[in-house]
Amino acid sequence: MNYRDPKLRDLLAGEYAMGLLPRRARARFERLMAEDAALAQLAADWQERLAPIDASAAPVAPPRRVWRAIEQGTLQKSFPAGPQSIGWLQSLAFWRGLAGAAAAVAAALVIYIALAPGPVRAPTVLAVLADSNGTPAFIATRAQGAGEVAVDPVRPQDLAAQKSFELWAIAGGPPKPLGLVSATPGKPLLVPAGAVGAAGTVLAVSLEPEGGSPTGAPTGPVLFQGKVLAN
Amino acid sequence: MAANVRDDELEELMRGVVRRERAAFAALYQRTAPQLFGIALRILRQREEAEDVLQEAFTAVWDRAASFDPARGSAMTWLVTVLRHRAIDRRRRRAHLEDRLGSDEDLLALSAAATDEADRGAGLAALQKCLGELEAQPRRAVLLAYAYGYTHEELAKRLATPIGTVKSWVRRSLERLKRCLDG
Repeated sequence: MNYRDPKLRDLLAGEYAMGLLPRRARARFERLMAEDAALAQLAADWQERLAPIDASAAPVAPPRRVWRAIEQGTLQKSFPAGPQSIGWLQSLAFWRGLAGAAAAVAAALVIYIALAPGPVRAPTVLAVLADSNGTPAFIATRAQGAGEVAVDPVRPQDLAAQKSFELWAIAGGPPKPLGLVSATPGKPLLVPAGAVGAAGTVLAVSLEPEGGSPTGAPTGPVLFQGKVLAN
Repeated sequence: MAANVRDDELEELMRGVVRRERAAFAALYQRTAPQLFGIALRILRQREEAEDVLQEAFTAVWDRAASFDPARGSAMTWLVTVLRHRAIDRRRRRAHLEDRLGSDEDLLALSAAATDEADRGAGLAALQKCLGELEAQPRRAVLLAYAYGYTHEELAKRLATPIGTVKSWVRRSLERLKRCLDG
């Protein structure tokens, strides 16, 4: 095919934007676009011309499980290696199965991860902190050989102004403060692994005044919690 | 124009995604997922498949956000392109392609649904006018292909017309639409 004929180039770009190119032809066209900015522009112009048709599709709110699956799938890509053992986290089928179920299900699967045989290169999931509905909210992970545990929300959490989330470790005695956790993912709280405690310790996040509890003990409600399954 | 404000916002969020900001990614999803899910549903007519495609598309958005070039087109159009091609692939992989459209009344719903979106309304009005200048069968071919993801083969079957004729309808329609919209 002669990709220099201006008329043909524009027609192919139009058919590409329509979605009419067969799979292989489309892949070829995309490779060409990567090296030919003018061709990419032709396709983009067609997409803009036809885009008003998209607005005629009635919006439908997708179920929450789709976002959870996207979030888990992309989160793991930020880790240096993605072993098979935690592939379930990004499976939409898994989240479909979890819909409505308690966090215990997630916890059971975390045990599976923690005990999964074979070389584990990715961080181990130590605990999943869920809300009262069982929806996972924070995840505690530890990279192999690392002396610290990272605690990070799995998605942005609602947090009122002048409030903070504070993390606690509870193992029989009074809750031990571990620090403030962010409401938005990407800035994990790093806690020395020893401070997190052994398997069975409960990790809890309470709502506190900005800057954390003034007393050294939780003063607000516990919003999220989960058990340490391995450390 | 309202549409431009929204486009600017989405562009900003896309830049955040390139910087690996989870909050920007979540906000981008929140703003665009319902529209994208609606588009996937219209092509696939099957919720689970549409959910899978939405997941695939956003995973690709996270991986490939850097390839979005705002100078070339709007963020929403880029997102739709990422999603539509996946939805169309999924549709083509089905063992048999049933004729899922009841009647051409569904196509008329195009204009009705769109008037709800005031900011996109102007663009659709112009496109509708130009589509209106096409003959009935070629216009159906264009709409069935774009909105519902029909292949040339399916168009030929549904419109009871040889495939070569359908292909040239689409090509000629594209030429005419371009002249009408750009002129």
